[in-house]
This record gives sequence, structure tokens and C-alpha cells, in this order.
Amino acid sequence: MSKEQKERILIVDDSEMNRSILVDMLSDDYDTLEAEDGVEAVSILSKQAMDLSLVLLDIVMPRMNGFGVLDAMNQNGWIKNVPVIIISAENSSDQVERAYELGATDFIARPFDALIVQRRVVNTLLLYAKQKRLIGMVEEQVYEKERQSDLMIDILSHIMEFRNGESGLHILHVRNLTDLLLGRLIAKTNKYHLTMADISLISTASSLHDIGKMAIDEKILNKPGRLTDEEFAIMKTHSAVGAEMLSRLPVHQQEPLVKVAYEICRWHHERYDGRGYPDGLKGDEIPISAQVVALADVYDALTSERVYKPPFSHEEAVRMIVNGECGAFNPFLLECLEENAERLRTALDHGAVEEVRQRKLRSISDEMLRGEGGASRRTLQLLERERMRNSFFASLTETIQFEYTASPPMISISARGAKKLGLDEIIMDPRNNEKVFEVIDKKVWDEVARRLRSSTPEKPEARFDCALHYDGATRWHRIVTRALWSEDTEPKFDGALGIVMDIHDTHMKLQELEQKAARDPLTGLINRTSAKERMELRMQDNPGSHYALAEIDIDDFKVINDLYGHMFGDKVLQQLARRMKNSVRSTDICCRAGGEEFFIFLEYNTDIEKTIDRIFRNLCFTFERHAVSVSMGVALGQEVGLAYQSLYHAADIALYAAKRGGKHQYRFYQPSLQNLLDVEPEDASGEKA
Amino acid sequence: MTLQTCYENMGANYNDAIGRLRSERLLQKFVLKFLDDGSYDLLCKSLESGNMEEAFRAAHTIKGMCQNLSFSVLAESSSALTEVLRAGQTDTDALFAKVKEDYESTVNAIRAYQAEL
Repeated sequence: MSKEQKERILIVDDSEMNRSILVDMLSDDYDTLEAEDGVEAVSILSKQAMDLSLVLLDIVMPRMNGFGVLDAMNQNGWIKNVPVIIISAENSSDQVERAYELGATDFIARPFDALIVQRRVVNTLLLYAKQKRLIGMVEEQVYEKERQSDLMIDILSHIMEFRNGESGLHILHVRNLTDLLLGRLIAKTNKYHLTMADISLISTASSLHDIGKMAIDEKILNKPGRLTDEEFAIMKTHSAVGAEMLSRLPVHQQEPLVKVAYEICRWHHERYDGRGYPDGLKGDEIPISAQVVALADVYDALTSERVYKPPFSHEEAVRMIVNGECGAFNPFLLECLEENAERLRTALDHGAVEEVRQRKLRSISDEMLRGEGGASRRTLQLLERERMRNSFFASLTETIQFEYTASPPMISISARGAKKLGLDEIIMDPRNNEKVFEVIDKKVWDEVARRLRSSTPEKPEARFDCALHYDGATRWHRIVTRALWSEDTEPKFDGALGIVMDIHDTHMKLQELEQKAARDPLTGLINRTSAKERMELRMQDNPGSHYALAEIDIDDFKVINDLYGHMFGDKVLQQLARRMKNSVRSTDICCRAGGEEFFIFLEYNTDIEKTIDRIFRNLCFTFERHAVSVSMGVALGQEVGLAYQSLYHAADIALYAAKRGGKHQYRFYQPSLQNLLDVEPEDASGEKA
Repeated sequence: MTLQTCYENMGANYNDAIGRLRSERLLQKFVLKFLDDGSYDLLCKSLESGNMEEAFRAAHTIKGMCQNLSFSVLAESSSALTEVLRAGQTDTDALFAKVKEDYESTVNAIRAYQAEL
């Protein structure tokens, strides 16, 4: 924060006079903001907690009192960065105690002395400014120090690898793998009592695992062929020799890094079954640091190219290790290896190395400064940026976005959305807020709430169409929500994200069509006029899709009527209508165009010939021992264009062709069929039946 | 009339107020502002309509303001009313009558002071 910029203080009090007394006292030295109750305070905090240096907070206020504000500040983590001084006439000790418990920094009893208020404000600000500066400084220092020692280690490692004839990245890989495996291990078991700082230490020390090779003759080290027994015995001394080098260091013997490095050097060739060297340690007699590095070492050796072997793939390497072909390892670590497959694969990219380092640093400084569970300043900034991004996108769209938290029950609505609906941006306890239910019906609210709570972490999305009332009108909207479930083993409902879209025009249009859709009383299918309107709407709505129109005629229907009577004929029509509906999806359109003429309009995205063939077979059936068949003409929107007239015309020609071809068959429209209208047909080439 | 005389007229403690707020200008500003505050009206209305929760907050606000300005008499009676309302008791008539009396004498004193400015 620059010196020019005044620090900003939020004053929360329901009495205007009390606020202005404080403003008068403070406004020479500070920027002041006022809120007249807890709800307004939370709303200001949620927008600019990062910019506030202090909150002066009253306790007794309408809508939400001071304890409610403290609760919200705890829930959102603001309390860690924004100190709160309570100013209240409530000075019973349990009230004071509760305020302190909720994280208030200081408590000033009313009536207050101007000098005391000014002094305490200054003190609190100084204290927090100092703490923030310290956090920043320590972070920078930790980072800089780690960066430099990592650099030294990288250089020395490279020199060593150069001599060992290794890939040049082996040490970096081992360090990275060690870090990943340990990260996974602590998520799995608490058996080894490792902190993030321990993991960092072990990863760093892992770079030294092969220093003992300095003492091995280069001829043996880089021998292309197989080592003789004698040579191998010499090679095996490198672990004990490395440990000895460290134990002879003239200084730093007590440094944890040196101690861990000693463990790793000496025992990274021990085996979990006790058959390793140099000491034949077994199981957890081998320090966990050495166990992990041993596994990382083997994995990287397998997946890297060496003078004596090509590189194995990740899958092969893991399989060989798990099958015990390359030594014996701690079963926990083998699980970590298998579970981390995806990350391991990418961990060896050079870019990932830096990422691991950053992540580690952040965790360590967090651990140092805040203990577990706290959000770092950087995290809060990231969250703030995230919020900024969301509100920016929200401001660009017509949709209304909202976020609901279950505890305390609070809904926050995007700025434009709130304005549109005539609601506050932040609404506490919305279920008991009358204004909310002027906009949304209680029944709808409860139904949305029910669906949210009955969703699951696996399938958290839900959608719901409903009417909303605002601006003196009622319009249809679609509410799309995503429930937020906690990551506990028993997931807890934390709240939801959602958007509200205006679908009024489409909805009304569809409803109008639905109402107007005159239905044929005999078959229950819609008539030609309604079908035409729906087809057109559908094609307009999504012109990118594929559509087909199939026109259907019952063969020799007149004969059926003549032979068996109209009652029987009607039953055939009903049966056919049922079969049509069962052959297509509910979103497709089935229509009785008149008499024994029907059509089906359908959207498709797979093999339309197969679909038509299936429909055709469904529509040829035996009814009360009489065989009913149909003729069908099909036109595709892609070929004749997305207009009702052209589709219908083309399907009609194809149907004509099917009939001329001897009925009981279907035809797809082709331009050549046009000739049929003038010329006698050649004998049925596309006959199917 | 001085501000001190105004305080004496309402039986309030001028020295305490000026000792805390440390500025005659400030004190005068807020004493005059007291006339515009709506808490007393709100208190009357809430008691009349039986909205005891709102009445509690209004009484509480009056008490806070009086404490800030060292209007000791009204501070005391509004404080007594506040506690009764906080405890959820409904028998407030006597206490409210006292608040009414003190409020009126306070406001009258301020008005008289204001008239001479």
C-alpha cells in the first residue's frame, strides 16, 4: 500500500449519529465507509475485504447484528486480514467474551473517549500492517533462500551426473518423484509423522543419494557391459562411502538436512525384505526417507535410457516394480506409485519441476506462519481475483448469476441480476425474506431447494423452469443450479451456484403451439397445421441439426374398410398411430395429415437409413389376422433444404414412387424421381419389403 | 446561552462530554443533530404497534446516543427501558413515561439553545 493512499475503515452502526461521530473523529487520517446494519457490512466486505484495513463494529443492529457480521467474517476468512474493533454499549462480560472468541481484536465500551478510539485504531492498524509486512518479508526470504540452495544443488548434481554418465536429469527426477510419492504417502497414512517441511527436506536431501559414486573408479562406473562380481562389489560400496563422506563433514553435523542425507546415502539400496545392502535392514528399520528415494531411483532408472538398456515405458516400469522384479518395497509406497500414475508421467517434464518447487514453498511458508488450515494471503488474493473475474463475466451477460451458502443462509446475486429483480445483492436468511417471495413463488423456491439437497456430489446439476415476478410482470425463466457438496466422507450440503435465464419468449411460443395444436380425436396425433408450425420452429431453433420427413400411407386402406367395415378401419388407424409414436422419440413429431395419410418428422444424428428401415418394419404389422402394410416416402432436410414446403413436396414424390413401385416399401427422395411424375416407372429398383 | 448552560438545563453532564469528545465544535454539532434523530419516533411507534424487538433496538440506540453525548438523565431512563425490553417484558408503560418526560426536557433544552444561535 503506498503512503499516499489512506487506509480504509468500515464503520458499522445503525445509529447515524454514532457513525458520524466516529467519521468526524477519523476522517482526517483515514478513508471511512459506513454501513447501517450487518447485512450492508457483509455486502461491503464481500466486495472489498482486501481493501479494508479495519472494521469498527456495533453489536445491536437490525437485520443482522455484530455477532452475525463476525460469523460471516470467520466463514469467509476475512477476519484473518481485517481486524475488528467492537464499539458497543453491550458490555456484559459474556458479550465481550463472545466478541473476542469470534476474533474481534479489541473492544471499546460506549460512551467512548475520542482519544482512546483514535489511539486504539492507530495501534490496531500498526499491528496489522507490521504483521502483513512480516508475512511478505518472510515469504520472500524463504523463497530466495530456497531458490539459491536449489541452484547450488542443481549445479553440483549436474557435475556428479556428468561423471556418472547419467542422463543429466536423474537427480532432478529423483527429487521430484520423492516429493510426489511423499505427498501421496501423507495423504494415505499418518504412520511416519511427516510434515510438509519434512517432505521438502527429504526431497532436497535426495539429490545427494549417489555422492558415494565419486569414490568409484570411472572405468567401473561407466563400463558399458555387465559388471563382474568383483566390480559389482566395488560398485556396491558407494552407499556406505557416501554416508561416510557426510559423517566426516567437519561442520553441520547437527543439521537436519545432513542427517536425512546420511540416511538416504547409506540405505537407499536396502530392501524391504531385508536382502539389500550395506546393512541388510528390514521393513521400517529402513528410514522412510531412504525407502522413498530407493523407489524413486529404481523408477527413474527403469524409465531412462542407459548404456546397457533402452528406456521402459511408465506402465512397464510400474508393472516390473510392483511384480517385485526390481527389489522389494514398502507396500504403502507401491500403492502411492500406482495411484500417482498420471502425475508421475508428467512429473518428469522439466516444467513440472518448477511447479513442485513453488507448491512446496507455498505450503512451507504457510505452515510456518499460520499453522494448518489457514488460507495464505496469496490464496486470498487468488480468490479475490477469481471473484473479480466472475463478476466481470456476469456483467457481460443477460443471465442472472447467484451463489447460495447454507450456513449462514445467504444468497448473493450478481450486481445486474439483483438490479433487474429489484433485490439486494446480498440477502441474509432468504427463506424468511418477504421480498424474495415477491419475485419467486415459495413453492418454486422449496422445490429448487429440495432438488439441490437431493442431488449428489457425482451429479450436482439440476434445472428447473418457473415463472418469476419483477418489474410488474411475470416471465418464464430457467434456473440451472450446481450444488456444492463438502469433500468430507459424509458430504455436507454447503450451498449452490446457479444462473437464471430468461426463456419467456420460447416458452410462451411453445405453450401457445401446444394449446393450439388441434389433435385428431381418433388417434390423438396432432394435425397438419400444428405439425407444420412445430417443424418450422424446430428447424429455426437449431438449423445445424439433421431432419427427416417421412410421409406414410396405409396400403389399400379402402379395401380394408370395404372388407371389414369402418370400425375395423378406425382400429387399424389407432394401432398405426400407436406404433408410430413407439418408433420415435417423444421429441419427434407424429402427425395424422388426413384420412389414411400420416407423417413423422424426426431429428437424427446417426444412420438415417437404418432408422427409417426400423420404423418401416414397425409400421407393417398383422392386425386381427389381417396384414397391414404401408408405403413411405422420405425426404432429408440436408438434401432438399430446411423448409416445410420443400420437405413435404419431396417426401410426397418419394411416396408416389414407393406406391408406383408396388406399395409395401419405402423410398428416399432423389432428384431423378421427379421424372416419375411424367414417365412410367421402370420396375422397382429400391424395393425393400 | 452556552452549550454548558444547555447541558445544565437538561440536567446533563457537560464536562464529561467535552472531556471525551474533546471539541466544543463537534459536541455542538452532535447535540443539534440529536433533534433530527428518528429513534424516539420509532420507539413510540413500535411500542404502540407492539413490535417489541424494534422497540428494544430504538431504546438501545437512544441510550447509545445519550451515552455518547453524556445526556445522563435520558441515558439512565432509556437504559432502564432497554433492559426491560431486552428481557422481553411487556409492562413498559411507567418506564416509557419517564423516557418521554426526559426526552421532552432534553429536546426542549436543545431547542432553546438552538434558538439563540
